Formats: sequence, C-alpha cells, structure tokens
Amino acid sequence: MSSFGNWIGVCKTRFLRVLLVQANRREGQFFAVCVEQHRVSGAKEADVLKAAQMMAEHRPGTFIWCMGGTQHTIGNNNTRAYCIFQLALGNMGVSGGGTNIFRGHDNVQGATDLGVLSHTLPGYYGLSEGAWKHWSKVWDLDYDWIKNRFDQNSYEKVGDKNVGPMHTKGIPVSRWIDGVLEDKDDIDQNDTIKAMVLWGHAPNSQTRGPEMKAAMEKLELMVVVDPYPSVSAVMNDRQDGLYLLPASTQFETYGSLSSSNRSMQWRHKIIDPLFESKPDHVIMHKFATKLGFADQLFKHIKVDGEEPLIEDITREFNSGMWTIGYTGQTPERMKLQSENLHTFNKTTLKAEGGPCDGEFYGLPWPCWGTPEMKHPGTPLLYDTSKSVAEGGLTFRARFGVEHDGENLLAEGSFSADSDIEDGYPEFTGEMLKKLGWWNELTAAEKTAAEGKNWKTDLSGGIQRVAIKHGCAPFGNAKARAVVWQFPDPVPIHREALYTNRRDLVEKYPTYEDRKSFYRLPTRYGSIQKQDFSQEFPLIMTSGRLVEYEGGGEETRSNPWLAELQQDMFIEINPGDANDAGVKHEEQVWVDGPEGGSIKVMAFVTPRVERGVVFMPFHFGGHYQGKDLLENYPEGTAPYVRGESCNTVFTYGYDSVTAMQETKVSLCRIRAV
Amino acid sequence: MARMKFLCDDERCIECNACVTACKNEHEVPWGINRRRVVTLDDGVPGEKSISVACMHCTDAPCQAVCPVDCFYTTDDGVVLHDKDICIGCGYCFYACPFGAPQYPQEGAFGARGKMDKCTFCAGGPEEDHSHEELDKYGRNRLAEGKLPLCAEMCSTKSLLAGDGDVVADLFRNRVVRREGRGEAWGWNTAYQDK
Repeated sequence: MSSFGNWIGVCKTRFLRVLLVQANRREGQFFAVCVEQHRVSGAKEADVLKAAQMMAEHRPGTFIWCMGGTQHTIGNNNTRAYCIFQLALGNMGVSGGGTNIFRGHDNVQGATDLGVLSHTLPGYYGLSEGAWKHWSKVWDLDYDWIKNRFDQNSYEKVGDKNVGPMHTKGIPVSRWIDGVLEDKDDIDQNDTIKAMVLWGHAPNSQTRGPEMKAAMEKLELMVVVDPYPSVSAVMNDRQDGLYLLPASTQFETYGSLSSSNRSMQWRHKIIDPLFESKPDHVIMHKFATKLGFADQLFKHIKVDGEEPLIEDITREFNSGMWTIGYTGQTPERMKLQSENLHTFNKTTLKAEGGPCDGEFYGLPWPCWGTPEMKHPGTPLLYDTSKSVAEGGLTFRARFGVEHDGENLLAEGSFSADSDIEDGYPEFTGEMLKKLGWWNELTAAEKTAAEGKNWKTDLSGGIQRVAIKHGCAPFGNAKARAVVWQFPDPVPIHREALYTNRRDLVEKYPTYEDRKSFYRLPTRYGSIQKQDFSQEFPLIMTSGRLVEYEGGGEETRSNPWLAELQQDMFIEINPGDANDAGVKHEEQVWVDGPEGGSIKVMAFVTPRVERGVVFMPFHFGGHYQGKDLLENYPEGTAPYVRGESCNTVFTYGYDSVTAMQETKVSLCRIRAV
Repeated sequence: MARMKFLCDDERCIECNACVTACKNEHEVPWGINRRRVVTLDDGVPGEKSISVACMHCTDAPCQAVCPVDCFYTTDDGVVLHDKDICIGCGYCFYACPFGAPQYPQEGAFGARGKMDKCTFCAGGPEEDHSHEELDKYGRNRLAEGKLPLCAEMCSTKSLLAGDGDVVADLFRNRVVRREGRGEAWGWNTAYQDK
C-alpha cells in the first residue's frame, strides 16, 4: 500500500505541473478503484495492483493497444484512460514511453491521416467552412464549385443554426447498413443509401452479418474494388447490379505509406499489375473521368495516360496538411532516405552523417514547415528535452486557453531552447505581430500569413518563425484529461449493451438512445434494459490470429498461411464445453442474441476463462451453416473458408467515434 | 570445418509460424508436408512454451543408422541429407527420428508412402548445385549461395538460430549470461541503459 502512495508522489514530480487538470481531485479514490475493478472485470485485485506497481516502478514503460480497446460502446473512454495512465506515470514525451496503437496494416495510420473517414477532411481539419476553404485553396478550386456539389438543404442543427451535409458528419463505415435499412425520415440526409462502393473493405470484419446481407440486397448498386472478390461478393444473393473491379496490391504500385509511429516511407513497385488489375489511383482516375470531375481532381497532378503521378499527389498533401506536419515529407526526401538507410542509427533512428544527417528515419510527423526548412521529423511526441527544430515538442494548445477559470496553457514548462519560457497559444499572424516577430517573415510570407494561422498559412512562414524561436507552432499547453465536450468528460466504465452482469447495469448503465448520431438513430439503453443472459449465457469476444489479416481474403488465399489455420473455430473453456455436451474439434452451433447462428469447430481450451468464448474474425465464405463456394467467380475462392464471427456479433457503437462493438456480446453454444 | 546446427531459444519463440511459412515458400513444400513446425507445450496455461522443430542434423543420426538402403549422407558442413533416388519410402527413419522430422508425401492411388522429405538445412541434395533437378527434388540450395537457412533468417524474434554450431552456441551463451535468470525482453538493455 505504501509503495502506491510513493508512486503517486513520484508521478507528481515531473508531470503534474503541466498536465493533469483534475487528477489531484481523484487520487483518493484509487484503492477503491482496484477493488471495484476486480468486481467489474474479474481480474484479480492482486494482479491489477501488481501490474500497476510494475508499471510505476519500471519507467519508462509503453502502453500498447490494438483495435480491441476501441471496439466498445465506451472505446473512447478506454483509450483516453490509457493515455491518462501514461500521463500520470510521466511516460509521455520520453524515449521508451508513450502510447502505441498497433494496426492491422502498414498504412492504416496513413489512411487516418488522409481522412478516409466520414467526419473530417485530410489532416484532421474537420468539416467546417474554414476547413473546406483551406482545402479548396490547396486544390486551387473554386470553393463555390465544391459547395454546389453538396445537397444545399439542411437536416441537422448546431445550436440554432441549420447546417448542411457538407458540414455534418457523414455515415461511418460501421453504420452503412443502417443508412440503407433505416426509415428515410429518421436519417439526417435527403434519402437512404442507394449505392455502395466497397474499396479494399472486408465486410466480415463488421458486425451484424444478417442485417448487412439484407442491406446489400436492398442496394440499387454495389461495387467491390479489391484484389480478391472478398466476402462482399459472395455473402449476398444479388442477381444483378454487383460489380467486381480487380485492384492491384501494394506490390504492384508505389508511393508513400505512414506507419503507426508516424513515419513515412517510399515504397517501390515490385512487379507490374497482374492479370487485368489496376492500381487504386488509376481506378480513381477512371471513375473521375467517367463522372466528369477529372480536370478538377487532377488539376495540379500530372496524368500519364490513365495513371496520375503519385509524386504529384504526395506534393499536394504536402502543401495542405500543416495541422500535423505532413508538409516536409516530399517524395524526394523520402526517396533519399530509403537510398541512405544505412546512415541511420538503428536505435535513435537518426542519420549520422551522409546526405540525411540529423534527420529521423521516415520524417515522422510533425515534420514541420516547408520541405526547404528541412525539419528532421518528430520521433517522439511531446518530448520537451529537445528543441522543436530538432524534433522536440510541447503539448498542443488545442482546446483554448482557459476553461472554467482554469488556465489551460502550460505553466513553467516549455521545450528546449524556447524563447517563450512558459505556455503560449497556437500561433497566428496576429500573435507574431504582438511578439514583434512579424518582420522576420519575408514579403511573400507576410502576404500569405496575413489573417492566417499556423495551419492555414500556405507559405509556412508562421511555422518557420515560431520554430526559429524554439516554439511549437501549435502552442504550448497542458495535456487534457477531462474532455468536457464528450459524453463522459472523465473516462468511466459503462456496462456493455449485451451483458450477463445484470448486477452491474444499475451502477454502470449505458447511454440513453440517441435520435441522431452520425446522421442515424442510435440505440443504447433500449437494448441494455433487455435481459438476454438467460438464453445467451456466455460472454463472446473476438480477435486476431497471427496467420491471417483483416477479413482474411488475401491471407486465406495464400496456401502457406491457409494450411496453418484450416478451420474457423471457437475457443471454449472445458467446463462450458462439457456443460453444453461439446467435444474438442467437433462442430458446434453458436447462436447470437440478434438471430444469427454459425457452425464452427469447437476448440476446447483453458485459454479462455469459464463463461467466456473467443472467435477469430478473419474467416468468411460460409454463412449460417452453408459454404458459399458456388458464389465465387471461378478460380477465385480462397483455400480456406469458414463462418464469419460477425454473423453473430451484435449492435453497439462507441459513443464518440461510432466504432462498432466487436469485443463484447453474448451467445450460446449447441452441439451439432 | 563448421558443423551446422539449429537452436530454438524457447524464451523468445512467440509461435508466429514465420519459420514454417518461410520454409514452405522457399522450397515450395506441398500442403500437408512439414519440414519445420512450431510445437506449443502447455497451451493456454501459465508457463506455455513454444519451440520450432525440424531435422536437427544429428552428428550420429538415427535415421542414417536404420536406413535399409543407406540413402543418407552427411555433408562436410555436418548437414544430414538423403538421396531421393535411393529412398524407398519405407518409414524406418520416421520410427528412428526423435523429432518427427521425416515426412512422406502421398503418392499413387493407394496412398502409399512416397519418397521421404525433410529439412535440408537449405542445402539442397546430391544433385548438382542449383540444378533444376535439385530444386525440384530438394528445394533451394541456399548454403551453396553462401546463405543460411531461411527459417532462421526470417525469425522475427531471432529465437531460431542456424549456422556453425560454435557460433550458435556462443550467441546463445551470451544471451543466457545477459538474461541473468530472467526471461529476456528484447530491447531491455537499450531502454534501461544497460542496467
């Protein structure tokens, strides 16, 4: 117990002065939390204490999670709790510390950064008018032309103001089926979804299989762009209006990718596209041409025949993504790094001598300013021991300068060599004037920076001058543990929608149902109040296997990998298996509370606790007991097919991100 | 002269099966034949351990001792190989081998045992180096190219070591000394400044 007191004391020493706005109000509750944690999660109190103590006594330490942490109705609470944990330990901004979120594919970070999402433009600019105007300027397109491509009516209000679909969050991929199936009057847009383009998407990695099948069959048009037909092509009974466009893999094209440590790397083409497949950007060009906006989409991008030049696409995002410092990683700099890989220190990732001297490998973002500024990249976020010019950083002043009378800016903390030895807000042209730094801008930079800020000044002058003075362009503030705009400002537990712990529902109820969330009605409390636990007593969770990736269509088509995992299975504790009369490696039915049933192989093992079952999510090609082999175009079926666990996984979406709940539901097992 | 050896460090093996996949791809090993496999003990309970196993290229190889047609031979590098033109697929070596290394592809209508197949330490067979026949019967000959077995080269945690037995032994001895009795986490010394 006493070592715990010490631990809290130690955390305070370095970080509390800059960080946790409200942490000190809560420390007294800590021990009670450990005991309650045992009651809620089942993890033994002593184990929780041991883990916490180990993290406290062995610093730095990193906190790693994957998609699972996010795939809950309270996913955003989970991930924020992990971050707060690291802040409290002083594990942020130090080598060997941080929060590391691993993804299933090497370019998922890049996809997120480029805004392949329903609620933001590239670089996390959001969907405000200012954001659209910024990007219109980068694209060199008329804002009004872009605006007129959107439905001009409005279906949602922000405050009293009507806001049109151009500025409201779209329907996310987790919910597209509801966009098809919901009543049109209940959706905050002009109509239901009529057509879907599933581009590099595994439908079997998404929950509510039977409803997805119904949605696919209700669509007027469905297009699948993928190297393999994917489960999209076979799980529905459409007779027409379904198109498969063969796309090339990453080995058949080239360009940059961004991995989860924010590093970018230039990837070279290994082989020409096989068969009649085409790389994504060629397919996109063909679509744009057909739909009549190729001139605008490729205005400053050279197109060689049908192939847009990827270097030019890279330069385009370089010229717009000031928010996260995606501006310095030109194709030339990335290529030079890959040619001089041997000059980088394998531990520090910093080049020692050679043409990339002083740069960090991959120019991890933020790589501030213009490419000419030669920023080395930021290998660790929020590392105040280095100057910003050398990859150091402060916490961003993202949330204003004050809240409820508390100063949100840093106090007495700043990055090395900072001319401002205290907190400061985000840089703007006005701020440079007030600081007396305005005249350090060139004449051209002054013209571009007038009335702009660090993320909208296309000359990069504001960023350049801020960094010259050792300051972070995005300001210097405290980290924020209390997110006052979120449903739960401080992360708390809320019981899953489908739970067999009825005793916890009262103390940790879920949210109220919502009328509009990403344009759709969204259910929480109305599901949780129903008790499914008598009929469906087992807790069901899902996850990955090392052999397969995502929906598994590519990897199950690889003979070497397919041979290693030939059967879709469910891990069942011996106790539960014996109660249900199920034997190891025999087939078993798994029924979900929303009506889906799948037939899979029983894997009886103590890997799972009694009362919990686990299934991998990479399988597809079987549906509720039937092999869909005949639905595949000839010669394209993967070697291994099996039931998708998501045929029995159920409703539930994160309260902020709308990420699907794939990590908790209920089920029952029956011997075949 | 070097004697080639494999060593699998069970403190490091994470059962990722990269060694198995590398072997299959390098030698186009057919479905159902495993020159290498990862064996997991005490699966799902505390103390679970995995180890990657293939032919251990024994110095006094039992397969060689029991073979009725004497198809085995040991190379100058200490690699135990066999001649598929002599092998009769009887399965004696399978009985003799303590590691379950010999494999028998099904051949013919009645599922009779085909010629024995096993790990070659990526050293091919008795045919001429890099010949089409060698590739077809035994897989690639990496040793003749100055390369080590691909399974160990691809091992993501460097659990599986392959090469001159003396060098492998030195590597492993150094690891054990550095571990000081605790399970080794890669990067520990870097993170804690060699403490």
